[in-house]
Amino acid sequence: MASLNRRDFMKALGLAGATAATASACNWDDNWYRTPVEEILPYLVKPEQVTPGTPTFFATTITTGPDAFPVTARHRDGRVINVGANRQLVAAGKAPSAVPKSALLELQRTYAPDRVRGPMDGGASTTWDAGLSKLATAVKDARAGGKTVAWIGPYRSGSMAQLIADFTDGNAVHWQPVGRAAEARAAEIVFGERRLPRYTISDAHYVLSFGAAFLGSWGGSALSHDFAMAKNPNHGGFIARFALVSPHQDQSGANADDWVAPHAGGEVAAAFAIAKLIADEKGYAGPANAMLSGVDPAANATAAGVELDKLKKVASAFAKASSAVAFPGAVEDVDLAVATLLINVVSGNVGKTVQTDGYAGPLHGTKDVTALVEKMKAGQVGVLLVDDVDPVYSLPPGLGFADALGKVGLVVALSSHPSETSAKAGLVLPTSTAFEDWGDEDLGDGTLLLRQPAMTPLYNTRSQGDVLLSVARAADLVAPMATTGTEASTEEGAEAPAEGEDTDAPAAPMADTTPLGFEPKTWQAYIATRWERQVYPLIGGGQPLPNWWARTLQAGMATLPSTHEGGHGVAGSGYTPPARGGEAGTALHLFLHPHRHDGTYASAPWAQEVADPMTGQVWNAWLEVSPDLAGELGVVDNDEVEVKTAAGSVRLGVEVYRGLKGKTAAFAFGQGHTTASGRYAADRGANAFSLVTGDVTDSDGNVLMVAKGVSISKTGAKATLVSTFGGDSDGGRNWGVSVNADALAKVGDKGQAHGGELTGIHHLPRDQRLAEKQRYNFYNHPERPTYRWSMTVDVNACDGCGVCAIACYAENNLAIVGKNLIKRGREMNWLRINRYWETVTDEHGESHADIQFVPMMCQHCGLAPCESVCPVLATYHNIDGLNAMVYNRCVGTRYCANNCPYVVRRFNFHSYVWPEPLHLQLNPDVSTRVMGVMEKCTFCVQRTRRIKDVYRDKGFTTTVPDEALRELPACAEACPTGALTFGNLNDPESVPAKTRMSARNYIIMGEFNTDSAINYLAKANFHVSEAAHHGGGHGGGHEGEHADGGEHGDGSHGDANGAGSHDGHEETDHGKAEHPAGAGEHH
Amino acid sequence: MEAIRPPSYAAANRDIIRVMFKPSFLYLAGLGVSVALVGLLAFCLLHEIWWGMGMAGTNNASFWGTYIVTFVFWVGIGHAGTLISAILFLVRSKWRTGVYRASEAMTVFAVMTAGLFPVLHLGRLWQVYWFFPYPNQRYLWVNFKSPLMWDVFAISTYFTVSAVFFYIGLIPDFAIVRDHNKGIISKVYDLLAVGWRGTNRQWHHYMAAYGFFAAFAAPLVLSVHSVVSWDFAMAVTAGWHSTIFPPYFVAGAIFSGCAMVITLLLPMSYIFGWKDYVNEWHYDALAKMCLLTSGILTYAYATEYFIGWYSQNPHEWEIFAWRATGEYAWAFWLMVFCNCIAPLPWYIPKLRTNPWVLWIIAGIINVGMWMERFNIVVSSTAHGFDPAMWRMYAPSMWEIGILLGSGGWFFMYFLLFSKTMPAVAIMEIKELIAAPVKGHVEAK
Repeated sequence: MASLNRRDFMKALGLAGATAATASACNWDDNWYRTPVEEILPYLVKPEQVTPGTPTFFATTITTGPDAFPVTARHRDGRVINVGANRQLVAAGKAPSAVPKSALLELQRTYAPDRVRGPMDGGASTTWDAGLSKLATAVKDARAGGKTVAWIGPYRSGSMAQLIADFTDGNAVHWQPVGRAAEARAAEIVFGERRLPRYTISDAHYVLSFGAAFLGSWGGSALSHDFAMAKNPNHGGFIARFALVSPHQDQSGANADDWVAPHAGGEVAAAFAIAKLIADEKGYAGPANAMLSGVDPAANATAAGVELDKLKKVASAFAKASSAVAFPGAVEDVDLAVATLLINVVSGNVGKTVQTDGYAGPLHGTKDVTALVEKMKAGQVGVLLVDDVDPVYSLPPGLGFADALGKVGLVVALSSHPSETSAKAGLVLPTSTAFEDWGDEDLGDGTLLLRQPAMTPLYNTRSQGDVLLSVARAADLVAPMATTGTEASTEEGAEAPAEGEDTDAPAAPMADTTPLGFEPKTWQAYIATRWERQVYPLIGGGQPLPNWWARTLQAGMATLPSTHEGGHGVAGSGYTPPARGGEAGTALHLFLHPHRHDGTYASAPWAQEVADPMTGQVWNAWLEVSPDLAGELGVVDNDEVEVKTAAGSVRLGVEVYRGLKGKTAAFAFGQGHTTASGRYAADRGANAFSLVTGDVTDSDGNVLMVAKGVSISKTGAKATLVSTFGGDSDGGRNWGVSVNADALAKVGDKGQAHGGELTGIHHLPRDQRLAEKQRYNFYNHPERPTYRWSMTVDVNACDGCGVCAIACYAENNLAIVGKNLIKRGREMNWLRINRYWETVTDEHGESHADIQFVPMMCQHCGLAPCESVCPVLATYHNIDGLNAMVYNRCVGTRYCANNCPYVVRRFNFHSYVWPEPLHLQLNPDVSTRVMGVMEKCTFCVQRTRRIKDVYRDKGFTTTVPDEALRELPACAEACPTGALTFGNLNDPESVPAKTRMSARNYIIMGEFNTDSAINYLAKANFHVSEAAHHGGGHGGGHEGEHADGGEHGDGSHGDANGAGSHDGHEETDHGKAEHPAGAGEHH
Repeated sequence: MEAIRPPSYAAANRDIIRVMFKPSFLYLAGLGVSVALVGLLAFCLLHEIWWGMGMAGTNNASFWGTYIVTFVFWVGIGHAGTLISAILFLVRSKWRTGVYRASEAMTVFAVMTAGLFPVLHLGRLWQVYWFFPYPNQRYLWVNFKSPLMWDVFAISTYFTVSAVFFYIGLIPDFAIVRDHNKGIISKVYDLLAVGWRGTNRQWHHYMAAYGFFAAFAAPLVLSVHSVVSWDFAMAVTAGWHSTIFPPYFVAGAIFSGCAMVITLLLPMSYIFGWKDYVNEWHYDALAKMCLLTSGILTYAYATEYFIGWYSQNPHEWEIFAWRATGEYAWAFWLMVFCNCIAPLPWYIPKLRTNPWVLWIIAGIINVGMWMERFNIVVSSTAHGFDPAMWRMYAPSMWEIGILLGSGGWFFMYFLLFSKTMPAVAIMEIKELIAAPVKGHVEAK
């Protein structure tokens, strides 16, 4: 090295150093795999409520009006990261253990990147002072000019309804595009009081629905819970039978045992026919007969387009059931609601399954919106306040709402969720979301729910209450001293018996019902004062007010003694059923989407990313077309068609759909927003509301959200639909298993039923077979001394709503990858719901759909195929029986995923980013994953770890008790039906350990000796032949597959215990198991 | 059929060394295309490293795709060389002499090509060193139960042994090149020939070493592809989980390898005018090898179907039925045509010696063997156990770029080899020529 002298060396060193410095200063591209650099600053003085790493829970109330639901907001480091069940109320039996989908979606909308971030005046940012004074001036001017100040918004109850009524002098329209006002009106017609019926169906033996999404987005989670109870063979020793009378099987209807398909629009005629038939069968002689006297079932059946016999069957089953319930249709319709109420009345179910003390808050139908539009057109509306509804998007175009907006003095959008309507508003005063705001709800049956802000508003938003109060003061409004308008009086009726209509209310402590007017300075004070005056005297129970208030806030709920005397007599008004029939030709059925509802949640990415339960469609709008109509049009899946009505025409991709008959097509509400509604909702197909013709009204004058006179034609182009679903049937693989419901109800679910009576499933209790197996096992079973985490999935309870999948996204920071990547098969869902559409043939040779929803997630196998193939031990079995995944060790060979029989592993094909501020919702307990690593369900390991710590700190030295585990993972917590139950398999008293003994238990791919930790419980189906074997004989795709071997959970063929006695039985049953319908089913 | 017909030792030296070093336009064009394809490979790979494995067409059901298909394809190609050089050497099959050098080169380069794929298909390929069981402070170890781990050892061993065996065979020929050249070339080959003088003592040691390595390499021929087949056979996936895989894979590998030898050597011998050294005799033998292995493959395909039906396992039968009738039926029938039907004309001896027929059928076989691996790797996972997760895979343009690039990578090496090393083993050719006992014909 003589050639390199010291000086040269120093030069080289300097150059190298400079190069390194330059390189390290380079700004790396944002999308590059990287570790974000963030500064960590510890608390110098710790805030009182905050323990780093520990969430704080705030009881609050999410969603509005009749569907309001008590939840807890999980709060970490200044922001709400998740929503959970309100454990306190669940334990007290006051709320079903569930997280409503709408609460999760509302949470994500709170963090939506496109939220309005501050007041806007004519599209330009402004200040709150300027905005409020502009509004105050406008209100003043309107009042001075004798013009109306009107408000339109979703169903608000409690204090907000009161304040709005005062502010608008009664000119408030509480409206949702596909809401429940018709039921309230129907109750008024039938019972004489405008209150929503309240359904308590956990003991109903027979459920009849005319298409209402009662297991989806209609009626709240409580119905899903109760329906699952009614179907649970361990609850009451019966299994509820569900009949659907609707042209379309949506996600709720997919759970039906019997399906009668009238022509689209024929539900009303069918419902009245059924009501009449039941009245006749029951010999009903009450006042409701007056309304049914003109009904001729045969004529109605013809008008509806169904055979009378089918309706008779349904009516007779309904009449015979010891308790039964009827639900209305897919869109609100006063006549259909009357008919269903009459069915409940004449069958004697009012008081049993239908309570008349439901929600009494203001509910307005389209009639009231039409009246408002007329006023607007006439120039009588000075100020229109638009709360969180989007009439421009969701009113039939023929109504002319958008044009009428131009004739209003000042349109004010009072929502921070941008919408087509807010884009047309002169003034946007963004309000805080339910997680940032105070509020209360009054459910009418005495239940009052409180909402408290769980975090400071993300943006420059204010509470709607504060806006109204300060504007009222600035505009010198005087609240009417006596409340006027129906909304106010009925609303008050719930809380203040002295003023209500119920003159025979029991004597109660006196509440001060003096109207508050606009006297409180803030919205918070308004609520506190109102509760202090009107609720505290009734249920304060002598506690000091501050203590009582703190406790009530903590609980999130208060229960007043119900002021409503049950058992309303039938008013017997002069109502006569309309003569409305179904459309015999090509018809279009519109329905609520289970995730996106009426379009409100289209802007929440989860509602787009999580697959549609029935079709697997994501990020799009599609037209469901009956097989017949598809054949006639000559279209197949993903062909584009043009759908035309008098209102307009749209282009949609086709999904050939077996839940439709005749020439019917179906189209869900909720898509087709413009960019005005934010990036996630924009350009997702077409808007179903734009097809609503508006020429069909119910007898109350409400425009129905239906499309008449539709024509569908093939365009020849291809659509860009993306579905996550592969095959339609499980092909006889026993991923979804159904057993005969009658047999199951007789035997019950518990104990050692040995398949003798209960066919269609395996013949040894699961644990016995496992023990048998382990004796001969070649492999060592891992040591799991204390815990083996396990889950029971009740396929019978699962109704496919998908809230578990959304909760999983929320809890585990699952990436939202979008339509293009899902098209390439790369969704990141850890939990999916497999929908298997099987066909079963009953003993009469009639075929019925048997639609099974099978939630599928990592099975945490005891002998996991994925673990043995990982070359670097990135996935391994831990001491709690979890199939653990070390993200940092993963190199991304993806062999584990190829070797997973359940296909539940997900690979990070890219590094995914959360647009700000969606990242604020990320759960700090769960790491986000980078490009190139594998991930999958962990049974929410962050929660199991925490609960173990919690119980160790409590001094439980042994194990966490079962009660604390059952609903621990996010999916189980969210599930309203109890279909998912978590537990410790080593604890013989745990739910999973017990369900291993259930006669309904089956383990998917058990024959692979994966020793799965998930027990599935078979679905009860009334049509599965009692004699049929293995999954009810559905879906047989292959001639040979019935010959067992792999079909048995474990090849019990070879077992000395089961096979000998059983083989003959199987052989004789082949004929039945292999009926043509099943064979035709296969992909 | 006539054997090797070189007139003399000197002619052999001259004919084979004559073609070295002076590139023709055609050669340079070919090399240019190959290098360009390597550039494409690098570009696609960098693009994929940057943006993630999502650049490939793989999805939540089919996690492997073209990369693993091509990996198995090249490993298979890499079989014929060692088979021809080692096993045929041990059984003293004379026809190997004309073709074994090129076949061995093909083997080494094919394994080098194959070795790219397990690395570049990793989600985080920068952490590929985690595959090696090196001691570390974190007590991280590898999983010796994983077939991928076995792959690491099987392929690295095979590559090492093939490369050493290849080099040993070259030593005497390097000496001949050294002696035929002057200046820098001579110097370079002097180094490569490691002092070879052709003394009796050197020949004695040489033959012992050669025999030893032949014996050492022979079982590897069988083991490597068996281990590769275990990547699939050890999995539970229907369509993979099969005991027939090791022999079936080995037969397939020999089949594709021999076809690839024909594909490479046939044009080479014509372009270089080596009719005296590589001719019908060799092609005939290679075609017969192909016919034999094609028969084995056909039998294996039939057995898979038989077992699928006979086992009455719904998952097995589903996947096999679907392969033949589902969306990938074209790939399946293309495979059957290429591997089972296309070689049949070779049963007619005349067609085994017609260069056009030989070359075209060999090309078809190469396509067929790639399709076979496509059928195994892709269709089994695309149509797995859960019908709800059936997903189709199609290669993306980036994968096709890498696939083409890997061809460029292989041909680049092969072309460089053909100009820098004697592509026919001179010293072994001489063993087949009558010794020049009647005085020398032509001085060197």
